Amino acid sequence: MAEYNPEQNKLNLKVVFYGPALSGKTTNLMQLHNQLSPERMGELMVLETKDDRTLFFDMLPIGLRSDHGLDLRLKLYTVPGQVKHDSTRKAVLSRADGILFIADSQPNQQDNNAIAFGNLEENLEKVGLDIETLPMAIQFNKRDMAGVVQEEELQMRWGHTPWAPLQMASAINGKGVVDSFRVLLERLYRVADKEHGLSLNHGIERADFVNRLSARRHDAAV
Amino acid sequence: MMRQFEDDPSLSELLDASQIKRLETSLAKLGARHAKLTATFSEGAVPVEFNLETVGWLNADCHPDTLAAMAELVGFILFFVAKYRLAANVHRTSTEAGYAELQKKHKALQESESRYKALSDQLQERVTEQVATIQKAQRELYESAKTRAIGQLAAGVAHEINNPIGFIKSNLKVASDYVNELEAKLPDDQETLELLADFRDLLDESIDGSRRIATIVADLKTFSSIDHADYTQCNINELLTASLHMLLTSHSDRELVIDKRFGDIPDIPGNPARLSEAFFNVLDNSAKAIGESGKIIIKTATDSNGNVAVVIQDNGCGIPATEQEQVFDPFFTSRPVGSGTGLGLTVAQDTLRAHKGLLRLDSREGRGTRVTMLLPRNS
Repeated sequence: MAEYNPEQNKLNLKVVFYGPALSGKTTNLMQLHNQLSPERMGELMVLETKDDRTLFFDMLPIGLRSDHGLDLRLKLYTVPGQVKHDSTRKAVLSRADGILFIADSQPNQQDNNAIAFGNLEENLEKVGLDIETLPMAIQFNKRDMAGVVQEEELQMRWGHTPWAPLQMASAINGKGVVDSFRVLLERLYRVADKEHGLSLNHGIERADFVNRLSARRHDAAV
Repeated sequence: MMRQFEDDPSLSELLDASQIKRLETSLAKLGARHAKLTATFSEGAVPVEFNLETVGWLNADCHPDTLAAMAELVGFILFFVAKYRLAANVHRTSTEAGYAELQKKHKALQESESRYKALSDQLQERVTEQVATIQKAQRELYESAKTRAIGQLAAGVAHEINNPIGFIKSNLKVASDYVNELEAKLPDDQETLELLADFRDLLDESIDGSRRIATIVADLKTFSSIDHADYTQCNINELLTASLHMLLTSHSDRELVIDKRFGDIPDIPGNPARLSEAFFNVLDNSAKAIGESGKIIIKTATDSNGNVAVVIQDNGCGIPATEQEQVFDPFFTSRPVGSGTGLGLTVAQDTLRAHKGLLRLDSREGRGTRVTMLLPRNS
């Protein structure tokens, strides 16, 4: 999306939480809603069916206003993970500025991770985005489960990719969620700064960007 | 209409004028007199937010705390309106994309279907072509083998019979001269004269018989065309005569009534062996079709361009309408197994085609058959 409106001095950025079904995308977003206290945060919008499966998407808007007056908004979206919702996934993915890929750590879900990653690659191409240049962080969720694939093995497996190191999380317990998000914010800043001159034109430095958008609530229970 | 499903909505996109009016009336009843919800700021108004975006301004004649609480309430309502709107929009976007993709797939399927159909048509065409080629090759092979066999036979006959019949004819002629000489030296009584006359008759009949044998040998040579392997100027009337002699010989067990109506026609280029065979095949069909009272008419004629027409007509059994399309098919025969190859008309038609001519068949069951063969002057 990365939509800059010079009249209102407003910049919209879009982050999409992608991954296989039931990997914890909505849980991640809910935890961010609970744990974060960014300068600005809107209502968490959850569009799920009665069995708690995401039907369309979930959305959480956060934002900050720079000293130079830039109204920066970051809209965080989740996609439905189920295979059958591919066209919805594509619609939500369209014009994304960053991806947080939520993978499942359980051994029997590794195939689904790979399929979802392939689907991401494919859909990015269809909506005209390049996985090589798009800021992305990868989180392996559900570390709390028994018998998960060892972190060393996962880190080794993904070590040669531009997305290393992987983030480990247990979203249900609120662990690793904000850290994963911060890794993505770091990578997102590099690209957004280059494109929109965040530092040069709006006086927003990298640490500013990351810290002000991922400030933790003092009472957050982690 | 929103440009993209996630674009920030404006107030008018969320609520229409009558809905805003209804909301304002309700708020007024709750104590916010002259409540106004507008897209633009007015003095004293408080912002109504959705998604960090100020979508409208609420103004009313009431305490600022009440106004703030009401702005909060309106924002709460707008959240659910926008939530529904967003869901509806993403649903529409993805449905349209899905439909477009389906149409694309459908089109691709249709294209591939028509490609396969064309391919299958081509395949059928090629199979038909191949079958025709194989049948043609088979016929040609059969014909060349047959022609070669007849040629060899005829050559053998010519070689073996021509010489003896030559000296038989010559000897019989000399013998006739000797009878004349003997007559002068023999007694002139009635018994001797009768004996001599009888002897002369015997010799004459033998001379006539040997001449006929020589003619048959000559016809055989023409038919098998040992002498003309390739295209040459052909006298069609002569070829017909030779074929007719062959026919009479092969049907010597009965009397065939032939009506020859040969016209004055020019020589045309052709392969005499193949033409003779074609004529014989048609004549043989006619001979087999007619009964005791049957008759075969052979006509030849020419047009002003020098093209030649040969008509062979009989009043025999004819060909049933249901079989008329098949008679040119190779190996089709209506006769008992073993009495015909089923190639007669096939070969005749091929021969005519090879001469750039054509063969037309008109037949009525029980009335007879007419075969017209047209041969161009320049083949």
